[in-house]
Amino acid sequence: MTHPKIVILEWKNEPDDKTLHQLIEFQKTILKEFEEVIQITQGYCSLMLFHKNNVQNIEDYKTKLHHLYTSQSMKYPKKGELWQIPVCYEEDYAPDLKTLANDLNLNPDTLVAKHVSARYQVCFIGFLPGFLYLSGLSKVLECRRKERPIPNVPQGSVAIGGRQTGIYPMDSPGGWHIIGKTPYPFFEPLNKKPCFAKAGDSVQFTSISKSEYLQLEGHRHNGTLKIKPL
Amino acid sequence: MIEVLHPGIYSSIQDLGRLGQQSLGVPIGGVMDQNAFYWANRLLNNPKHSAVLEMSFKGPKLLFHQPTTIALAGANMDAQLNGLKIANLIPVEIKEKDLLEFGNANFGKRTYMAVKGGIHTHEILKSRSQYKGITTYATLSKTKLIPFNMVKFLPPKGARLSLKKTNSKEEVIVVYRGPDFDLLPEKAKKQLEKNTFSISINNSRMAYVLEEKVEHQISYKWTAPVLPGTVQCTPDGTLIILMRDAQTTGGYPRILQVSDEGLNILGQKSTNECFQFQLSAV
Repeated sequence: MTHPKIVILEWKNEPDDKTLHQLIEFQKTILKEFEEVIQITQGYCSLMLFHKNNVQNIEDYKTKLHHLYTSQSMKYPKKGELWQIPVCYEEDYAPDLKTLANDLNLNPDTLVAKHVSARYQVCFIGFLPGFLYLSGLSKVLECRRKERPIPNVPQGSVAIGGRQTGIYPMDSPGGWHIIGKTPYPFFEPLNKKPCFAKAGDSVQFTSISKSEYLQLEGHRHNGTLKIKPL
Repeated sequence: MIEVLHPGIYSSIQDLGRLGQQSLGVPIGGVMDQNAFYWANRLLNNPKHSAVLEMSFKGPKLLFHQPTTIALAGANMDAQLNGLKIANLIPVEIKEKDLLEFGNANFGKRTYMAVKGGIHTHEILKSRSQYKGITTYATLSKTKLIPFNMVKFLPPKGARLSLKKTNSKEEVIVVYRGPDFDLLPEKAKKQLEKNTFSISINNSRMAYVLEEKVEHQISYKWTAPVLPGTVQCTPDGTLIILMRDAQTTGGYPRILQVSDEGLNILGQKSTNECFQFQLSAV
């Protein structure tokens, strides 16, 4: 047992679409049925359940959870929202684009074309407030992370690292290769919904010019930049 | 209001944090030593979750603009009110224009100051705990004024706590097996149970990196949920204890989970301090 108030559920399969839907649906079911559970944190193939009090009889509880899992109506959940994220891939905002393209034997335009052509699935949010774990990166764009993380990746940076791509929701240290920047905020703590996206949604990137970027950034400072699902 | 004349080395406003907001990637956060937090508030009859000032290593210099009552708990920081020593674990009356100065921490690393009625900064995502990207400022270094509730009640008369035992000398940290514990080789499990570990200079509210390593060959894991107290093991065997401001998910194997009490004890420790893990029978 990990901690008297914590129960971890693990899926033995690879993290794919089906696993993701099972994780998302089962979370909802547990939160609806078990009042004792006050928080569920999700990973690629596991759920961590936080309980109000110590879990008394773990064997009984396992049986209950198993029963709940098998008895829930496993309707295929409706598709999440699709979000289009404008990204400026021009040099000023993409310090690592050229070197990464070189490492991958691609020309920078091809790299960008590959990055915008895919539709990415939001698996969960973690690492930082508003950081989306996205799946669906093209195999040709997979790369090693930087040897040393840099101390300050600017907010909005769009980056690739390992088998993943992501957007830095706030200034933070980071070891991924920065290939662009979005003017859209991914975490606004004072909003009713601090992060517009949620697990199960999809994301697509679209390429914008520097002047379009600056225009959108201006709207952001006026507070009139709002993202809408497609 | 309390005016911050000098912020100290690392001071921040904290309560019990943001459990329940982790699906947004928001850390739980909150006070490093929940025991001291509880005592400080209890002495003033404050509601349980009232926000306090957490001061690490060397405390701040504060000027009170209104009268109130405070209580200190945790490490001893040689607090002086207008130049006169005041003790921990007893309510202290504060008058307008009183100057409160703290020195270096002894018998622990973190001191808590509760204020009658609680510190009253804006609640964001159901908590007042300061955290970069959530509250306007992450620490006291840029916070100029600390608002508190002006409540008219007297703290319990003659309230005083005397603790027979302080946690600062405790060197046994009770832990549970983490979800990846069984993937460790027997030798590493023995090392964890028998060896003494020490906190490296790389320690913060987010995580403590330990000096000593353990040998293992566990391969990369899919990013999975973590929580304060999770002990991660990197590919080269470095142990990282996640503390209150820990991120919500992590990619390293989770080999141990520190007990609630263990986490409070660790919250009072810092660089070079030693301890042993004790595996709980549960």
